[in-house]
Amino acid sequence: MRRFTGCFLAALLLLGLTACGAKEPESLQVIAMDTSMTFTAYDGEGEEAVSAAGQEVRRLERLLSKTDKESMVSRLNTAGGERVAVGEEVCSLLKAAETYSRATDDTFDITLSPVSSAWGFTTDSFRVPERAELDALLKNVGMGHVSIQGDTASLDAGTQIDLGAIAKGYASDCVAEIFRENGVANGWAALGGNVVALGSRPDGSPWRVGIQDPQKADDPNAFAGMLQLKDAYAVTSGSYQRFFEENGKRYHHILDPATGAPAESGLLSVTVVADDTAGNGTMCDALSTALFVMGEERALNFWRSGAYDFQLVLVTQDGRVVITDGLADTFTSEGDGYVCETVS
Amino acid sequence: MSVKPSPKLRPSGYDALVALAVVALAAALGFWMWRGGTQQGLTAVILVDGERVEQVALRELDHPEERTLTAGGYTLHLRLFPDGAEMESADCPTQDCVHTGRITRSGQSIVCLPGRVIVRLEGAAVNDGGPDIVIG
Repeated sequence: MRRFTGCFLAALLLLGLTACGAKEPESLQVIAMDTSMTFTAYDGEGEEAVSAAGQEVRRLERLLSKTDKESMVSRLNTAGGERVAVGEEVCSLLKAAETYSRATDDTFDITLSPVSSAWGFTTDSFRVPERAELDALLKNVGMGHVSIQGDTASLDAGTQIDLGAIAKGYASDCVAEIFRENGVANGWAALGGNVVALGSRPDGSPWRVGIQDPQKADDPNAFAGMLQLKDAYAVTSGSYQRFFEENGKRYHHILDPATGAPAESGLLSVTVVADDTAGNGTMCDALSTALFVMGEERALNFWRSGAYDFQLVLVTQDGRVVITDGLADTFTSEGDGYVCETVS
Repeated sequence: MSVKPSPKLRPSGYDALVALAVVALAAALGFWMWRGGTQQGLTAVILVDGERVEQVALRELDHPEERTLTAGGYTLHLRLFPDGAEMESADCPTQDCVHTGRITRSGQSIVCLPGRVIVRLEGAAVNDGGPDIVIG
């Protein structure tokens, strides 16, 4: 009997040990909103969460895409100045865009769409427009050409919008909400250059978020630095993400609304980090573009103004990685040849 | 006063055998789990338009292999290695997939947006200080 008990206990021990392995996370990778997105959940109703996240980004793509002729954005762009019932959600996003444009002195602008198209960034048919062409297009750029009333909106003739610089951030907010609704306390979502990191890694340590080295964009293992994040959003905008070269000169996709040309701000990338408060995904997305256009000095002054609660990692053309002091304990410099500076 | 255990309670050779078996099994299981945590191979998962079309256990490759993927009107030439994968060439307009370079870590992927192709590495998660997520 005692030997039987011993064998039984041994079997229990073995069964217990087999359960020691960490539970595999649920993960889903999709192409949506013109980028690759990955959703990973470590707990809660993980399978439902990542599946719902995939459905949500496809829904948002159908709603907000500039190239889908049936989307609300396309209907607005082709309405010939007529008012369109775009719905509460789109209006809310338009209002957010308007707010961030005003707050950033119009360095963030969703009405640059015709200018971006002239450069070929929306069609991959790249070209360098003449100055006169850009000047003509810029006359229809600016949030003053957008009217929002209730759940309707209208655009002045010649004005078109592209929500590409804010839609993925908004999508990351929606995905974070879906994760929470499904009890996912630990997981992450990466939507192109937009990340939301909830909770922590399985061992309790923060998520390690690598910032791509802009000078080695072709090397997936080259990082300008590493952030250790818990319950946070992080969004990177960089000149290396989409560009073309003509006559030996590189033209990137982040356009300066003041000139209609690629922003020449001395920066290679801007990463905006904020806590996981609802709406901060949208904010980080908008600000990463705006602060790239501003350049280092204006971006840091904007941060110091305290208008919004966020932190920054700037990678400069002259080989520096500049971080704001709120990231001093969470950022590790990784890239070869960069000089790291902490500012306050 | 000392108490002698009853002969029935004294450990016998069979008891020692059971104890030995438990220790041996625990050691074997520990070794198996350790191997699983650090030496499990990478698998390259190939998705076209959201559908999983192939998965390849890379550690079973004894030499590089090539796959030709046709998707979205584009042709992509993928090379698989025992330690990773890279898109050797593609006729898509952006060439982002080719510029990604060779991926070697679990969770990394090569993406061709025009062709809606994803090549993703799975398995072999290692705690080597590398990133869980990459932005940019």
